[in-house]
Amino acid sequence: MKRRTLAWSMLALAIAIGSALVGGRLRDGGFAGSDSRAMAAVAALQPAYRPWFGFVWEPPPEIAGGLFALQAALGAGVLGYYLGFKRGQARRRQDRADEGD
Amino acid sequence: MHIAEGFLPPLHAAIWSALAAPFVVAGARRVNRLLRDQPQLQLLLAASGAFAFLLSALKLPSITGSSSHATGVGLGAMLFGPSVMALLGAIVLCFQALLLAHGGLTTLGANVFALAVVGPWVAFAILRGARRLHAPFAAAVFVAALSGNLATYLTTAGQLALAFPDPASGVMGSFLKFAAVFAPTQLPLAAVEGLLTVSIVNFLREYSGDELRALEVLPASRAAEAG
Repeated sequence: MKRRTLAWSMLALAIAIGSALVGGRLRDGGFAGSDSRAMAAVAALQPAYRPWFGFVWEPPPEIAGGLFALQAALGAGVLGYYLGFKRGQARRRQDRADEGD
Repeated sequence: MHIAEGFLPPLHAAIWSALAAPFVVAGARRVNRLLRDQPQLQLLLAASGAFAFLLSALKLPSITGSSSHATGVGLGAMLFGPSVMALLGAIVLCFQALLLAHGGLTTLGANVFALAVVGPWVAFAILRGARRLHAPFAAAVFVAALSGNLATYLTTAGQLALAFPDPASGVMGSFLKFAAVFAPTQLPLAAVEGLLTVSIVNFLREYSGDELRALEVLPASRAAEAG
């Protein structure tokens, strides 16, 4: 089971890396966000449309990367804590069962 | 799927907010009840939210030369039911709208509806359907998470199409245009999300048998069942 879980994650990684290699070779391979491409499509459909509300606060570009990393780190931290906790719990249970024998 | 701040006309923004709000309220109630009645699930709930936090922070490259997001909401929807993810997804989107200038407050309702309502419900329904058809477990989880991701983006395409119909071909033509922007980019990313969701679910079936039994949604693996 453990090995299979590793294989699933490796396959996910392989798709991501493969996509980056294929996409990077394209002429417009700058990896612009599809969200911003959709907003560009809005501008193409209705050139007169102007966003009627601006961002309340926009992080300076240098800071934005760090905030994205913070979001990922919070997620990975809590998720990793849970996974480690459950594994430790299973091992303790196993040890107790061994002692009982 | 983040419609940028101000990119939906006020009427559309208001309608989507009104449609999304009851789901978020219902989600908050459900989370409250869950934490009161089954406090032992608190940690797994936090981990599901964390999975959505992590995945939606990652902009992944795609074969089309653009990048886009995983959503991460399928996992929680499959474990706790879709309504819980309305709250957790809304928290993620608030964080991104306020701190990352990603999405926006005026478009929060529309974005919540796509990411935190449609995505989780589709993932949940597809898992149910696939289980009923006796599909292999990992395949069912994979397809459910992948479909949830795609459904979120198609919903966004629909929302933009309703707001900005094509002058010549109308809402449908506009929908196809927006879907063409999203779908090819999204497909490999949805597959990545599906695979990551399967690996977490595999882990849970191995180590979190108690929680899965309490939730009665996903069966634990036979080994964990015996242990």
